[in-house]
Amino acid sequence: MGNTSRRSFVRKLLLAPETVLPPAGDRTLVCIFLRGAADTLNMVIPYGDDEYYRLRPTIAIPPPANGTTGLRLDDFYAFHPNLAPLLPAFNEGRLGIVQAVGTDNPSGSHFEAQDQMEHGESYGHTIGGGWLGRYLRTRAADMTPLSAVAIGPTIPESLRGAPTASAIESIEEVQIKTPSGNASGVASVLSALYAAEGEMVGQAGKATLHLLRRVETLRGAVYTPENGAVYLDDDFSQGLKEIARLAKARVGLEVACLDLGGWDTHFFQGSTSGLQADLIRQLADGLAAFDKDMGAQRDRVVTLIMTEFGRRTYENSSLGTDHGRGFALFALGGLVKGGKVHGHWPGLAEESSSQTDSLNPVGPSGLKVLIDYRSVLAEVLTKFLGHRDVNQVFPNFHPEPVGVVW
Amino acid sequence: MDSKRRGLLKALGLIAAALPLTGCERLISSVTQELGQRIPENLSLPDSSEIDPSFHLLSRAAYGPWPGDLDTLRAMGSEQWIEEQLSPETIDDTVCDLRARRFETIWHEPGTCYEYKKPVLREEITRHTLLRALYSKRQLLEVMVGFWTDHLNINLEKGDCIYLKPADDRLVIRTHALGRFRELIRASATSPAMLVYLDGKENQKKEPGDVPNENYARELLELHTLGVDGGYTQTDVYEAARSLTGWRLRTGWRKGTVYFDQSLHDDGEKRVLGQTIPAGGGATDVDQLVEIACNHPSTAHHIATKLVRRFVSEDPPAALVQRVANVFTSTDGDIKALLRTILTSDEFRAAKGLKFKRPFQYIVSCLRALAADTHAHQQLIEYLLRMGQGPFQYPTPDGYPDRTAPWLGTLLWRWNFAFNAASNHLPTVTVPLEQLAEAIGGKAPFQPEQLMSYFIGRKGSNSELKAIADYQKSNRGDSNYHAELVAVVLASPAFQRC
Repeated sequence: MGNTSRRSFVRKLLLAPETVLPPAGDRTLVCIFLRGAADTLNMVIPYGDDEYYRLRPTIAIPPPANGTTGLRLDDFYAFHPNLAPLLPAFNEGRLGIVQAVGTDNPSGSHFEAQDQMEHGESYGHTIGGGWLGRYLRTRAADMTPLSAVAIGPTIPESLRGAPTASAIESIEEVQIKTPSGNASGVASVLSALYAAEGEMVGQAGKATLHLLRRVETLRGAVYTPENGAVYLDDDFSQGLKEIARLAKARVGLEVACLDLGGWDTHFFQGSTSGLQADLIRQLADGLAAFDKDMGAQRDRVVTLIMTEFGRRTYENSSLGTDHGRGFALFALGGLVKGGKVHGHWPGLAEESSSQTDSLNPVGPSGLKVLIDYRSVLAEVLTKFLGHRDVNQVFPNFHPEPVGVVW
Repeated sequence: MDSKRRGLLKALGLIAAALPLTGCERLISSVTQELGQRIPENLSLPDSSEIDPSFHLLSRAAYGPWPGDLDTLRAMGSEQWIEEQLSPETIDDTVCDLRARRFETIWHEPGTCYEYKKPVLREEITRHTLLRALYSKRQLLEVMVGFWTDHLNINLEKGDCIYLKPADDRLVIRTHALGRFRELIRASATSPAMLVYLDGKENQKKEPGDVPNENYARELLELHTLGVDGGYTQTDVYEAARSLTGWRLRTGWRKGTVYFDQSLHDDGEKRVLGQTIPAGGGATDVDQLVEIACNHPSTAHHIATKLVRRFVSEDPPAALVQRVANVFTSTDGDIKALLRTILTSDEFRAAKGLKFKRPFQYIVSCLRALAADTHAHQQLIEYLLRMGQGPFQYPTPDGYPDRTAPWLGTLLWRWNFAFNAASNHLPTVTVPLEQLAEAIGGKAPFQPEQLMSYFIGRKGSNSELKAIADYQKSNRGDSNYHAELVAVVLASPAFQRC
C-alpha cells in the first residue's frame, strides 16, 4: 500500500471508523487443514463422559491425573498429553476450541468432504471457487503478490478463484529470478521503466518492487523467531515459520494456507503414544512456536485448524477409528475467545448419533454435528477480517453466532 | 496457400493424429514449424513514436502478433484483414488443428464425458483453449470465444459442469461466437452446462404452490442480456423463471442430455418486460423469452458497452457505444456487424496502448511474439492459475473482470514469466530466440531500439531506451544477456498494455 492510500485510509478511519475495512494484510488469517480426518475425540478428550471410555477401551486417553494422562481443560474436557505445548495458549485465553463442528456431507469421502469445505458449500450445492477465493475477490483491488499464500507445492481448493494466489515453499521464491542472477539490475531497470508509467500500472509496479526489496531484506537476514520460539525441522513447523516471517514483514499477507496430512488413522491409531500422538505432537509444537513467535503481534493473526470430518466414536477391531462426522475445530490468536470449549457436547450415545437432521443426514455415524463449519468461517471473516457481506462468500447461508472471536 | 499444399498439410495432420499420443508432440512441433509457423527471414519493424495501427489491430482483435503477422496485415490492408477474420471458415487453420484437435474430450456430444476423470477433462479443455489462442490463424474468433466465455461464464468446478462444459464450449460459444446474439443466448439457455451452473435444471413447477428457481432467469436479465441497470423488475425475473420451468437433465441413461418435461412446466400466461408469453407455450416459452430479452433496447446497449470495453477502453466512449447499440438493433444482433463497427471506428484507432492486458492475454501475447513452441502442459497452465486467470475457473457468473484494478497484483509473476520465457526456462516451452533476433535485427541482433519496435509496436521512448541502456551496462558479458534484454522488454509496462 502506497503512502497516499495509507493516508487516505487513516483519514477514512478518522472520519468513519465503523465503515472501513482494515488495509489488506494488516490482519492475516491462517488456515491449517488436517488432511485425512483427524480424530479430535482423542485430542480434546471428553473425560467427563463415561461413554467415551466404554467405546474406546484400548485407545482412550486416561482422565487427568498424574502421569501420562489427559491435561485438564475444565471439568469435562482434557487435552491429549501431546498437546501440552498449547496448554499455555489455552490457559491464557488465546486458544479456543469449537466442539461438534462439521459439514452436512454424508459421503464419508475424504476428497468430497475436503472439497466441500474448501469450497465453502453445503452438500450438493456447489457454488464455484473456494471460500477464500471468493472472499479475496471482494478485495481484488488491494491484492499484492503475497496477499494469498499457500505453503506447499499446490494452490489449495479453498483459494480457487482468488485474484492472485501463490503456492510457495518459502519466501525464497518471492523474487525475480533471472538466469544471470542480476536481480538488482533488473530491479533498477524495472524501477526506471515503471516510474515513467501512468498512475495505476506505475503504482502497481512501484508497489511490487517495494515489496521485493522488503522481501529481499528478509531473505538476506537470517530469520530469528522472537520470544525464544523454536520451530522444529519438519515441513509443518517450517511452513508456520515462513508464515510468521511474512505476517511480521507486513507484505500484504491476508490469507495463508498450510496442510498437515496423515490423520486417516484406521489402523493402530495409538493412544497417549503412537501414530496419532506423534502427529498431535507435531501439530502442537508447530503451533506453540508460532504463537510464541508472533508474541506482541498475536492480535494480527487468527489461525484456524480444521479437518474434513471427525471419526467414529468407537474404536474398530484394528485399534483405529473409521470415518465419522463432527470434529473439534481449534482457533488460535490474540483476538480469539480462548480458554474455553465452545458449543455443546452432543454426547456419544447411539441415539444421539442416529437421529438425522439437515446437518446430520444419513451417512457415517460419529459425533453429531451441531455447528455448521461455515458459521465459524463466517464469524472469522466478519469479526476478524472486517468482511461485511457474508453472502458474497457463502451465498444462501445464514451463519449462527459461535462466539469464538472477540 | 494453394490447395496442393493444403492437401499435404491435411495428410500430415492425419499421420500425426494417427500416431500414439506419447512422442508425437515433437513431430507435431516440427511439422507445424516446417509448414506454417516458421519465422520469416526478415520482419519489418514499426518506426513511429506512436503504436503502429496494424500492430494495434493485432493487439486487440488478436492475441498479439505472431512473427510476420504485421507484414501480412499491412499487405492486406486492415479492412480486408478484418473481413477475413470475420469469416473464420475461409481461413485454413490446419497448423493450429495439428496441435489443438487431438484432445478427445472436446469433441464429445453433451453428456458423454462422464467416463473421463475430472483432471483429464480439466486439462484437455484448458490446453485446447490455450493452444487455440496461441496458434489459431482465426484470431478474432478466439478473442470472441474468450469474450463470450466470460460473458456466459461457467465454472468447471461447479456440480457436473466439468463434464458438460466441453460441449458448451463447442456448440454454444464457438458455434455462435461470430453469429447472431439471440442464437448464442438461445443455445446457452438450454445448454446442459448452463442448466447445471445456474440451476436451471432445478427450476420446476410440480405442485400448484411451487415457486421457480430464479437463478438462471436473474442472470439472463442481469448479466447475459439487459444488464443490471437494464430496467427489469423482480417480477420480470420471476416471470422469466416461470417461462423456463421444466428443462431437465437426464440422470440415468443418456445422463447429462437435455429434455423438456411438460409436467414440470408452468404453462400459464407470463408477462415479461411488458410483453406477454401466452399460456400453453410449453417448450417454446424459452424461445419467446430469449426473443423478448434480446430485443430489449437495454440489451443492445449492454452488449455494446461490454464489447467496446473489451476492444477499445475500460471507460467506453459513449458515442461509440451508442453507434454499436444502433447497429445491434438494426442488424438484429449480428455480432460481425458490431465488431466491424468497433474495429473500423476512430475511437478504436485512437485508443492505442491503453488497455492493461489480463494474465491470459499477457501470457499468450508473450508466447506469440516469441514464436514459442509449446503443447500447453500443466507447467504453463500453472502460471495462469498463479495469476488468477485459469480458463473456466472463475467462480461467479459475471466472468473474469475486464478492468485493470483486479489484475494489478500479478506483476511479479508476469516479470518472472518474461524472464523464464525469454531465457527458455519455461518447462515444456521452447523459444527460438536467436532465430527471432536475426529476423528482427539482421546482422546486429538484440538492439534495444529494434526489440522495442518489434514487441511494443512503436519506437522506444527516450526514457525507456535510457533505462534499458543502463541495464545493458550492468549486464554485458553474461551469456544470458540477450535473453534478459528481451525479458526486460516483455516485463516493461508498455508490454503489459495493448
